[in-house]
Amino acid sequence: MQFPLTFWDISLWLAFISIILLVIAELISPYHGLTNLLINRKRLRRVALIMGVLFLITVVIRIVGIIYTL
Amino acid sequence: MNKVFAYSLFVFGMFLIFYTLLMSESYEIQTLTIMAFIGLGLTFWGGLLLYITPSKHVPVELLNASTTSTLATIEKILTESNLTRKGIYLPPKYLKDFESSLAFIPFRDYQSLPMGTYEPKLYSGNPNGIFLIPPGTALLKLFEKKLGTTFTRTDLNFLRNNLQKLLVEDLEIAEKTDIKIDGNIVIIEITNHVFNEVCQETKKLPRIHESIGCILSSGIACALAKVTGIPVIIENEEQSHNGKTMRIHCRMLEG
Repeated sequence: MQFPLTFWDISLWLAFISIILLVIAELISPYHGLTNLLINRKRLRRVALIMGVLFLITVVIRIVGIIYTL
Repeated sequence: MNKVFAYSLFVFGMFLIFYTLLMSESYEIQTLTIMAFIGLGLTFWGGLLLYITPSKHVPVELLNASTTSTLATIEKILTESNLTRKGIYLPPKYLKDFESSLAFIPFRDYQSLPMGTYEPKLYSGNPNGIFLIPPGTALLKLFEKKLGTTFTRTDLNFLRNNLQKLLVEDLEIAEKTDIKIDGNIVIIEITNHVFNEVCQETKKLPRIHESIGCILSSGIACALAKVTGIPVIIENEEQSHNGKTMRIHCRMLEG
């Protein structure tokens, strides 16, 4: 039993998700919403930042790995 | 967004992840990778939708419905007491409970209030007038809760620097705010706030509109009295031509 996604797959997924969420969190406005979906913007921004930070951590791990292999 | 939909996404995503783990021997790696990505995505978006959807949301009309009768009661008290003067928002030094708020509506004009701690009873002989708990008191407490401090520990600069963040970013009850300070006059502009309808209703109650202002002005006057430590009166409340911006003129009296 082995999870098929590698560390780099997860890193790519985090990058993709964090970009989408950060863009949504910045563009979304409670005053001109066109949908009925109610969103707590502060929480959305928090999740976007957490995902961004997680992605950056994976990048740091990758850089450290490259440096150690030199 | 239905919570059931979010829960369904989350559960289906988790199911896919576990299925991928269990069937790791039976499928090709590419199929498993795609299934794991889909499972991870569904779990994430399900959890995210549950997290970012506010648990309670009420229409803004409820504000008007729930405050009008209270304001009408204050209007009746002011009318029957024949009070026409401006209400004075008292700073903590005049109050027994420093964290409370009180507005004093005098029978005659005061340029400065007699010093001392006033009893929070309705009718008072010295100074001559009545004491009311202002309609913005609860709003003031909410402001303090959101800012995580009490206004008695802050100053006017703190209020000036934090009003925009408080009303626009934290509470999301207005689109824009601005404070101008000119000597003992403070002018606060609030654009596109949710109390617009309540404030329009307050204008139909002339005594309360003249004496203590609408609920938002009252909350801001309470905050001003608390941060400055000086009695404050609301000189004037005016709406812009398009009705979107409210301008509140507050005057700080001599202590």
